[in-house]
Amino acid sequence: MSAIAGQDAIGGGTTARKRRRMPVSVLLAAIFAVLVVGLAIFGPLLAPHDPAAQSLQTGVIGPTSDHLLGTDHLGRDILSRVMAGARDAVIGPAIIAISATVISLVFGIIAGYRGGVVEAVVLRVGDLMYAVPAILVSIVVIGVLGGGYYLAVAVLVLLSVPADTRVVRAAVLSERHLPYIEAGQTLGLSRWRIMTVHILPNVMPTAVAIALLEFVYGLITLSSLSFLGLGAEAGSPEWGRMLADNRTLLAENPNAALAPALLIMATAAAVMLLGDWIYDRVSEESTTRD
Amino acid sequence: MTDPTTTAPAPGDQLSGAPLLAVHDLAITRWPGGPPLVTGLDLELRRGETIALVGESGAGKSLSARAAIKLVPAGLHVTGEVRFQGEDLNRMDEEAVRAVRGGGVAMLLQDPFTILNPLIRTRTHLIETLRSSGRRLSGAEAADEVTRRLAEVGITDASVGDRYPFELSGGMRQRVALACALAKDPALLIADEPTTALDATTQRDVLRLLRSVQQARGMGVLMITHDLRVAFSISDRVYVMYAGGVVERARPEDFLAAPAHPYTVGLIRAEPPTGYRREQLDGIPGQVPAPETVSHQCAFADRCSWATPECTTARPPLLAVTDVHASACRRREEIAGELLADLHAAWEPATVPDPPAGETVLRVAGLRKSYQRDRSTWAVDGIDFTLGSGRNLGIVGESGSGKTTLARCLLGLEEPTEGSIELLGTDVSRYRSLDREQLRRVRGQLQCVFQDPYSSLNRSHSVGFILREALSRRSPEAGPAPSVEELLDRVGLAARYAGRKPVALSGGQRQRVAIARALAIAPKVLLCDEPVAALDVSVQGQVLQVLREVSESGTQLLFITHDLAVVRQMTDDLVVLERGKIVESGRTEAVLDQPSHPYTARLVGAVPTGDAEWLS
Amino acid sequence: MSIAWYILRRLGVGLLLLVIASFFVFCLLYISPGSPEQVLLGGRPSTPEIIGTIRAKYNLDDPFLVQYGQWLLDAFRLDFGESIVTDQPVTTVLTDRAGPTLALALAGLVLTIVIAVPAGMYAAAKRNTSGDRMVSMLTLLGSSAPTFAVGVLLLYVFGVSLEWFPVFGNGTGFTGQLHHLVLPAIALAVTQIAYVTRQTRAAALRVYEQDYVTFARSRGLGRSLIWRRYALLNSSLPIVTATGLLLAYTLGGAVLVEVTFSREGVGSLMLQAVQSKDIPVVQGLVAFAAITVTLVNLGVDLVNLAIDPRLRKEVTG
Repeated sequence: MSAIAGQDAIGGGTTARKRRRMPVSVLLAAIFAVLVVGLAIFGPLLAPHDPAAQSLQTGVIGPTSDHLLGTDHLGRDILSRVMAGARDAVIGPAIIAISATVISLVFGIIAGYRGGVVEAVVLRVGDLMYAVPAILVSIVVIGVLGGGYYLAVAVLVLLSVPADTRVVRAAVLSERHLPYIEAGQTLGLSRWRIMTVHILPNVMPTAVAIALLEFVYGLITLSSLSFLGLGAEAGSPEWGRMLADNRTLLAENPNAALAPALLIMATAAAVMLLGDWIYDRVSEESTTRD
Repeated sequence: MTDPTTTAPAPGDQLSGAPLLAVHDLAITRWPGGPPLVTGLDLELRRGETIALVGESGAGKSLSARAAIKLVPAGLHVTGEVRFQGEDLNRMDEEAVRAVRGGGVAMLLQDPFTILNPLIRTRTHLIETLRSSGRRLSGAEAADEVTRRLAEVGITDASVGDRYPFELSGGMRQRVALACALAKDPALLIADEPTTALDATTQRDVLRLLRSVQQARGMGVLMITHDLRVAFSISDRVYVMYAGGVVERARPEDFLAAPAHPYTVGLIRAEPPTGYRREQLDGIPGQVPAPETVSHQCAFADRCSWATPECTTARPPLLAVTDVHASACRRREEIAGELLADLHAAWEPATVPDPPAGETVLRVAGLRKSYQRDRSTWAVDGIDFTLGSGRNLGIVGESGSGKTTLARCLLGLEEPTEGSIELLGTDVSRYRSLDREQLRRVRGQLQCVFQDPYSSLNRSHSVGFILREALSRRSPEAGPAPSVEELLDRVGLAARYAGRKPVALSGGQRQRVAIARALAIAPKVLLCDEPVAALDVSVQGQVLQVLREVSESGTQLLFITHDLAVVRQMTDDLVVLERGKIVESGRTEAVLDQPSHPYTARLVGAVPTGDAEWLS
Repeated sequence: MSIAWYILRRLGVGLLLLVIASFFVFCLLYISPGSPEQVLLGGRPSTPEIIGTIRAKYNLDDPFLVQYGQWLLDAFRLDFGESIVTDQPVTTVLTDRAGPTLALALAGLVLTIVIAVPAGMYAAAKRNTSGDRMVSMLTLLGSSAPTFAVGVLLLYVFGVSLEWFPVFGNGTGFTGQLHHLVLPAIALAVTQIAYVTRQTRAAALRVYEQDYVTFARSRGLGRSLIWRRYALLNSSLPIVTATGLLLAYTLGGAVLVEVTFSREGVGSLMLQAVQSKDIPVVQGLVAFAAITVTLVNLGVDLVNLAIDPRLRKEVTG
């Protein structure tokens, strides 16, 4: 009784909602993320050298004033390559994040609210896919089919949808029997309206979390596949691929391998940090119970 | 301040000179120097004495009690003295306090379903507590001890020791928890709303048990409750808290004989009486403020009809009225007479209306509902009743009585297994078989207000959006649609609330918006499922009054509740449910005044009366 | 219903997973570009005799489902055929390579449990202190670091720069192998540690907020008792589940680690088999992975049953 009423004084009308300041780490993450997106769009234009230009007589060198991060075994400028590689590194994860989120929202809401065949299929597929390692399946499928970046992207979308749909469904289920939904039913609102106008906004925090997590996992898995030679094609400046190509140069010009490695890690960490923060904010915005 | 040595002990108790617990100037803030949650609390409790801390949510009663065992949630900042048997707990380190906990001060919590470790057996709970004071127990001794301790809390079934918590009922779990709290023979037991989560009949049993244990052991008890009548029944002295501070302190009888604070009077008045119907159910206007907004004024001034500008200039101290009675109202002497009159005014029963029953609006016949595929148990097991036009019907029952299932069947949220529900001539027992037009008509005739105000409104949308959506479902036959502002006005909310989101509203305000949403389509019947159970007492009255006005303007109430006092105020006829069956029905007054079924009699007897007799 | 029946049912679900996985695996032969004969031919000269032998050996003249049935029957006898590249039986290839990967997986698991569970419990107990924030930041970094990137970083710092550890291979002799295992095991464990720490912290936070912990403290129970019987025991369900999940994922991580550190193991075998289109080996490996996943899941379920009486009640009715 008072456990419920106890929220009254805290969430009550008189107390102004606390505005939470953005922590420094999140601010840095945001700046970094913007930078990476900037590189993804303008990277090839901003690069000091042509990322593909080979210079066999230069060969591998360490950092110089002309090549700030040195060059690889073909004499290609590392800085230009990591800048140009941002696009390939980011675009796949972005596609995975958006498609997985949208698809799982559609199926998750239908499965959670309507139940029926969709729910049964979602549950069964989820059961089967549970604990099936995505990276392993991707290695086999992509390897056998002969590789390719967008094939990898498509496979990863397919592999992430079942789990994400279950997450959305769980979020919908926790709303489904709340009085505001039942009041809507009692008013005679259509199912479509309840799903889109009432449930959708309240599962958005979950969707945001899914999108950002899928971006991070997409980045990690895609670059892993590229590293194994199954994603981006040879010679591409995609970060994982570049790391694979240059890891033999650790003694001569470690930048050639370390720069893409650190960029992948920093991008993933930044997005994850941002995701955590956005999720907290979004779910705080609308929830009264904390 | 009253001199502690002159405070008269309750008669018949074994009291000694030094207080068992002496709290002085206790303050709890969110962080050092941060917003206060409890301000300047003084409290004394003697050996063998039972004290109640009473207040609505946010009063700080629970936090204050936890300070007495140094279990205030991490992060909060506590200052002041909390002396237990002379030692200041607030200055002790964690290890020293641990020696006090359990043996010196013990605590019982509210929710029996979360108080015990779900992964270990009842027996283990008891034995680990017995052993934690360094006591050595052989296996056989431990088994004896467990039996003895369970017997003390009225559990004679030896197998309970071998059960896991999830295998026990709520009342049983609370008894086990009490046995654990008592295992190290504490001198002081803090009981934090120990019966709030229990059914009324179980509540009385557990309170009786608590009292008999207290008397047998001569133990001090600090009882936290939101229920004044429970506090009056069980305690020697009562501290009334409001927004982080004590506003009045007295023996139970003093509050009624010589009320000295407007808030306490308001609180007593706001409790709907069980024995008679009252003319006006207004509660206390406004809502409980956050403590930090009233730290330099009388916390109650903004809701007090006796407040003067001086009341908001400084925080009034708690001053003696008599040697056992103190009040924090600066005008306590001038207004004493008016307070008493105000209190007595609330005791005048109103004439009970007996409106004539018109045509049958709702007819329920042979309704049964089972959730199991094999139909092994029935949540609703054969219910028949009719709701005549113009009369409000109450449906009363404890948890497990099937009242919520019944409501859900009526609303079409569940499909009955058997039986029929006829609403204004349409059979609605199978909502799915209704055609579009029928469905639309039915929806326009029956609406609902749910229990939990916090999830009754979609948190993503504004109040205006919610009401406009409801208005869009209003059928043309229901007459011209009111505006959102008119709807808000009908439930006593200003038009500016239309722009707000639910998060910015208090529980009572949300419940009013929920009522407004139901009224938007002008239903014939408004089903209220425990509409005030989650609200503070001072706000309950406001919401009930709104519902009464609704019922006077042509919408009938079908009122589902566990609360006999509320049902008395709101309904003309009454149906009593026990385990899915109707055990008694009739006019509300008749059923409550002369219950003919033993179960009804037990329910009526379980309502706290506010005097000590109730627990003897 | 009894525990035995429950185990049988879970095994049944596992079997279903195996059948579906095996069907998928069998299809690989047909999905991969080129005709099955060409795929199975590998690098051998394409003479009519050899093609004829292959057609007969793999029953390529039978209908698809018959082929699958035949393959499945052989698979149940752990006969996945011979590697196209080395002509060795797939089972032999697998067992030869399993040792180092098992060692890697075990080392990673030990590291994970030893570090992650205490770290997560500590962070939850010290919620919102600098210690907690440190742990949370490290887990965030750990979970966003791809295994291969961590591997390359470790190689650079401890292998190339400091020269503390060897940079490639499995090593010989016990100490040599152990020496070679250190960096790969850390690389494998970083993501796992981050994951389990996160799960542990979240689980312990939920437990610490529970009334039964407050009630235990109010009875003056000892700190270590509350720690073990309340905090750890009640957090253990999600921790066990998380650990099981990462065991199922180990083979995926092993591919990356073994490739990064040029180790010979099941993981690097997987990549080599895929790259050389050595379909029988891939089929064997996937079946191996599916069996691992099934057994791990069953193990997790059984441990959880042992911990939680409510689950036991659900199972036994």
